[in-house]
Amino acid sequence: MPRAFFILAAAFAVSTSTPLLVSAAGPTPELLHFLDTHCVECHDADVKNGGLNLADLDFSLDKSDHFALWQRIHERVESGEMPPEKKPRPETAAVTAFLKDLGDPLLSVDRTDIATHGRVRSRRLTRVEYEHTLHDLLGIDLPLGKLLPEDPESHGFETVASAQQLSYHQLARYLDVADLALDEAFSRALEGDIKYTKKFTPDELIKNRGGNYRGPELRDGSSISWPIGLQFFGRMRPTAAPADGWYRVTLKDVQAVNPGKGGTVWGTLRSGFCDSNAPLLSMIGLIEATKEKRDLVFEAWIEKGHQLELRPNDGDLKRAPTGATGGNVSFKDRDLAADGFSGIAHRGIEMERIYPNAARWGVRDKLFGKDPLKNWENDPAAAVDVILPRFARRAFRRPAAPEQLAPYRELALAALADGESLHAALKAAYRAILCSPRFLTFVEPIGPLDDIAIASRLSYALRASMPDTPLAKLASNKKLRDPDVLASEVDRLLDDPKSERFINSFTDQWLKLKQIDFTSPDPRQFRNYDPVLEASFLAETRTYFAELIRKNHDVTHLVDSDFVFLNSRLARHYDLNLPVKPGAGLQKVAFPADFKTVRGGLITQGAILKVTADGTHTSPVIRGVFVNERILGVHLAPPPPGVPAIEPDIRGAVSIREQLEKHRDSESCASCHRTIDPPGFVLENFDPVGGWRTNYGTGGKGVKIDTSGTTPEGADFTGIKTWKSIYHKRERSLALGFVRQFLTYATGAPPRFSDAAILDGIVEKAAAENYGIRSLIRASIGSEIFLSK
Amino acid sequence: MATFTFQKHLSRRAVLRGAGISLGLPLLEAMSPAFAAAAETGRAKRFVGVSLALGLHNPNLVPATAGRDYEPSLYLKSLGDLRENFTVISGSSHPGVTGGHTAEGSIFSACPNMRGTTSRNTISLDQLMAKHLGHETRFPSLVLNTGRQTSPSYTENGSMIPAENDAIALFTKLFVDDKPAEQERQAELIRQGRSVMDVVGAEAKALQRELGSGDRDKLDAWFTSVRDLEKRLVANEEWTHRPKPEVSLKKPTAIPRDNEVIVERIFLDIVHMALATDSTRFVTLHVTGNNVNGIEGVEESYHGLSHHGMDEEKLRQLTIVEQGVVNEWGDFLRKLKDGGLLDETMVLLTSNLGNASSHDNKNMPVLFAGGVFRHGQHLAFDQKNNYPLPNLYLSALHRLGLQEETFATSTGGIAGLEA
Repeated sequence: MPRAFFILAAAFAVSTSTPLLVSAAGPTPELLHFLDTHCVECHDADVKNGGLNLADLDFSLDKSDHFALWQRIHERVESGEMPPEKKPRPETAAVTAFLKDLGDPLLSVDRTDIATHGRVRSRRLTRVEYEHTLHDLLGIDLPLGKLLPEDPESHGFETVASAQQLSYHQLARYLDVADLALDEAFSRALEGDIKYTKKFTPDELIKNRGGNYRGPELRDGSSISWPIGLQFFGRMRPTAAPADGWYRVTLKDVQAVNPGKGGTVWGTLRSGFCDSNAPLLSMIGLIEATKEKRDLVFEAWIEKGHQLELRPNDGDLKRAPTGATGGNVSFKDRDLAADGFSGIAHRGIEMERIYPNAARWGVRDKLFGKDPLKNWENDPAAAVDVILPRFARRAFRRPAAPEQLAPYRELALAALADGESLHAALKAAYRAILCSPRFLTFVEPIGPLDDIAIASRLSYALRASMPDTPLAKLASNKKLRDPDVLASEVDRLLDDPKSERFINSFTDQWLKLKQIDFTSPDPRQFRNYDPVLEASFLAETRTYFAELIRKNHDVTHLVDSDFVFLNSRLARHYDLNLPVKPGAGLQKVAFPADFKTVRGGLITQGAILKVTADGTHTSPVIRGVFVNERILGVHLAPPPPGVPAIEPDIRGAVSIREQLEKHRDSESCASCHRTIDPPGFVLENFDPVGGWRTNYGTGGKGVKIDTSGTTPEGADFTGIKTWKSIYHKRERSLALGFVRQFLTYATGAPPRFSDAAILDGIVEKAAAENYGIRSLIRASIGSEIFLSK
Repeated sequence: MATFTFQKHLSRRAVLRGAGISLGLPLLEAMSPAFAAAAETGRAKRFVGVSLALGLHNPNLVPATAGRDYEPSLYLKSLGDLRENFTVISGSSHPGVTGGHTAEGSIFSACPNMRGTTSRNTISLDQLMAKHLGHETRFPSLVLNTGRQTSPSYTENGSMIPAENDAIALFTKLFVDDKPAEQERQAELIRQGRSVMDVVGAEAKALQRELGSGDRDKLDAWFTSVRDLEKRLVANEEWTHRPKPEVSLKKPTAIPRDNEVIVERIFLDIVHMALATDSTRFVTLHVTGNNVNGIEGVEESYHGLSHHGMDEEKLRQLTIVEQGVVNEWGDFLRKLKDGGLLDETMVLLTSNLGNASSHDNKNMPVLFAGGVFRHGQHLAFDQKNNYPLPNLYLSALHRLGLQEETFATSTGGIAGLEA
C-alpha cells in the first residue's frame, strides 16, 4: 500500500517540524510499517472506519486531542480489539513491538506533562462541597447548594476540574450566596435562634381553610389517612410552616389500619403548598405503620407556607373512593376500616423549629472565637488581627501569611474607619474571603502535595467538606506523609458519621443516583410504582455501598452478593420470599443456602435499573455502557458520527435485540457492540423500574426476552445468573475499574495513560486484603496519584 | 429575636442574583420609533431562541412537501395566518453533536460535544450577539428556563449561564421598582461587591504566582470574570436609581406548574414586554418543565410521553402537549407582529432532540421567523445526511450586522433564506 504509506509519512513529516515536548520521540519506521500493514486499509481518508483517519492524524503528542487518539489506538491494539477479528492477526512479537514503540513516547510525553502541569488544575468546590463547607465553617444549615448553578459533569463526575468553567454570572452568585450565609450566621450569633413549637391534635388537623377538603379523617380521637388517589389528599392545612427552616416533626402513636400480610402500611410524609398551581412536594420521609403504636420522628427543611401531606403511598394498596364529588373528600356515613381499606392512623403531630448543624453558641464561636466581642470594644482593630486570621485559616484550609491576609484586613479596617461595628467589619472581610479563589478552589502547588493539601483532598474525598480539627492538626504537624497515619485517618473518616456525605455524593455521581427521579415511569405499564419504592431504591443502594465499606467486603460485591438490604416494600417488588421484620426499615437479609435469586450485587438493584432506563423502555446499549464503564472498568469510545439511533418500540412486537443484531452486522459497529451489549442483554429481564419480566410489552404479552450471549472474551452465558458467575471471578479488573472511578471523583481528574503502573500497584496492595472496597480506597489514597497534583 | 426568613433574603437580593439582570431604563423613545426600518435596511435588532428539552414529534411537524407551496403539517395548521412570517426547516442538525439530553448544552452553541464528553463548550449564539450588541439595553441578555436553572446559553469561556426560572421574579426584575431605601441598600451592596472583587482579582493574581503554569488558564478565567463582573456592577450602580418601564402586563401571581404550556406562555408574555420596552434584545428560553397533567386530556409526564415508543395512547397525549407548545410560539409571533416588532426580531424554535423517543440529535425541529428573511417556505434538507444548522446561526449573526466568518461548524450562510 504505497499510497497509504506516503500519506502517513507526509503527516508525520509535518508533525516533526512542530516542537514536541519530547523531541526524540518521533515515530519509528517499524511503527509506521505496522500501521501501514494492519490499520490503514480501513482507517484512511476514504474509508475512515470509526471516524479514524490515520492520514489526518499527526504525531504531535503534545496536543491533547492527538494524544488522546494515539492513546486510544494503543488501548485498542493492546486489548486485542484491533485489528478486528476478521482481519489477519499480526504476530504477537509485532504487536508487542508496536505497543512499545507507541507506548514509550506516550508515556514520556504524559509524564512530562504531569510533572510540569499536574493532573488536576485549579479544581473548584462543587455546589455540594460548597454547601457542606459553609455549614462546617459557619455552623449554619441553610440549603445553599441549589442557589448555585449545576455543576457540569466530565468523566462521570462533577468534581472533575477540567469541566469547571467560571464566568461573572457564577462569581455574582458566589457573592450573593456568601451574603446570604453570612447574614444567617451573624444574625443567629448576635440575635439568637427562632423558637417555634406547636402541637396539633387530630381534631385540629381537619381544619380546612377554604377550598376542597382533602384532609385526613377524624375518628375516635385518631387522625387517619387512606389510600385515596386524589392529588394532595392527606394535606393538613393547619401545619403550614411559619418560616423557612428545619423542623422536627413528630407523629404520635402511628398505627396501621388493616395492615396486609406484610404487617405494615407504607406511606409518605411530604411537604408542599399542596395547590394545583404549586404542586411540587418534597419528601420528608417514609412512614412504615405497623400494628404496634409508635412515635415517628422526622427532620426536614420546610419552606414557609408549606404544609404536611401524609398518605398511604403504596401502589399495591386498594384505592378508597373519595366519598364526595368535585374534588372533595368526605368520610361521612362510611367506615373505611370496616370496608377493609388500609390506612395510617396517628394521634397528633408536633412541629419544632431546630438547628441541626450547630446551636447558636457554636455559630458564634466559629465566627468570633470564644471571647465575647464586647471584650474588644476598646480596641476593635486588635480584634480584627486575632479573629480574622483564625477564620481565614479555616476558610482557606491553610495558614495564611500576613501579606496574604492584608487585603482582607484592609477591608475590615476600612469598615471600622467608616464607623462600622466590629462585627460589621468582620462580615465585610469574611464576604471577600468566601469569594476568594483560596476558598473556592483547591490550592495545590505542582509536584507532590504538602500535608496541608493532602488534608484538604482527603477531607473533600471522604466527607465532601473542609478538614475537621484532628485532620487539620495532623496536617500542621506534617504527619500525613506517614503511610500508617494516612491509612488510619482514612479509616477514621470513613467511620465518621459525616462519611454519609461521601456515600451520597459519590453514589449520586458514580451510580447516577441523583437521577433517580429524572423519569416518571409509565403509569399504565408500571401501575404499582410509588414514591415509597423510589425512596427505598435510593436507600437500598446507598446502604449497600456503605456496608461494603464498613465491612470491607471484596470488590466482587459490585456484581453479586449473598445478602441484600430490604424492607417489606422492596421484598414485594423483588418478589423475594425472605423474612423481613415489619417496622424495622431497611434491614440486611442474608440469602439462605441454595436460595435461588437473580438479586444480589449492585447492578440488579432497583435504583441502578431505573436510572439506566427511561421510564418507558429499556435499552441494552444504555445499560451496557453503564455496566461496562462504571462497574466493569471498561473504557468505551463514543459512537462514531452518523450512526442512527434505534427507534424504541414498546408495543412488544419486535425485540430491541433483533434491531441491534442488524446494527451489529457491520464490522465496525460490532467491534464495540460485542463489548457493550452483553451486560445490557442480560439486564433485559429487568423492566425500567427494576421488576423481573420474561416478555416485552405491557402485561408481558409481547415477544419473549432472550438474555443469552457471549462476553467479549468468549465466555457464554444464558442469563443474569451465569453472567454474574463469570464476572464474579474477575476481582482484578473490577478492582481496577473501581479504583479509577474513585480516584477520578476524589482527585478531580481521571487517571492518565502513564498512571497504569501506579493503578496496578494500588490493586496489588489491596489484593493482599482480598480486594476489599475499603482496602481499595485506602490504597488509592496512599498512591502517588492521590498524593501529587 | 431574629426575624430572618430565607425567602425574604432571596428576594431582596434578587438584584445581584442575576448580576446585571436588575438594570432598568424605560427608553420610551425606543418603544415606538421607526420599526419599519428593518424592511428597508435588511437589518434585525433582536433574537429570541426558544428551545425545547424534549423535541417535537417529527411526523407531526415536518410537512410532506417542500418549497413555498408546502402542505402544512399537523402542528403547523394553527399557524396559517403566520405562514409568510416563518420558515420550517427539516433535515438539519449540528454536526458532531450527539448524546441525547446531554446535547442540550449545544443547542445554541452548536459545539461538537463527543457524546457529551467534551469538557468545554463554546459561546452560544445569543451570548455572542449580546457580547457585541447587548450593552445598549438594561439587560445585555435574558437567559430563561421554564423549570430548571440550567440553560443552553454559554459564555465565551464555555461557562453555562444560570437561567432565571421564576417568572414572577423575572417580572419584578424587569418592571417593578424597588423602594428608595431598598435602592440605596442595593447601591451600597454593589459598592461593597466591587471592593470584594478588587480583592478577588488580586488574589487570583497572587495565586498565579504561587501555583504552576498548569493552573494559569483557570486563573485567567478568574481575572476575566472579575473584570466582567466589575463592569456589570458599575453599570448596575448607574441603573439602580433609574425607574423601570411601566407595562400594561399584569405581574403573574401563580405559576400553574402542572401545565407546561401555560408556563411557556407566561414567560413569552414577559419576554414580549421586555422586547417592547427595549429592556433587552437577546433572549433564550429553555422549555424544560415535566408536569403536563393539568392539560385537558393529558395524564402522563412530558418526559414519559416523549418516550412514546410508538405507543398510540402516548402519541395522542404527546400531540396535545406539543401542539400547545407550538401554538404558544405562534401567539408570541402574533404579538410581535401586531406591535411591529417581528421584522426586527429573529425568533427560533428548536430542540437538541430530533427524536426524543430514541434520544436522536439528528433532524432537529426548526421553526424560524422574523428578521426579514425570505419566509413562507419549507426548506427540506436530507434527513439522512443533515444540513449544518450552524449555517442558519451564521446568517442570523450577519442579519444583525455582525461580520463573523464562521459560527461553530458552519460552512457558510444558510441557502435559500436570503430575501
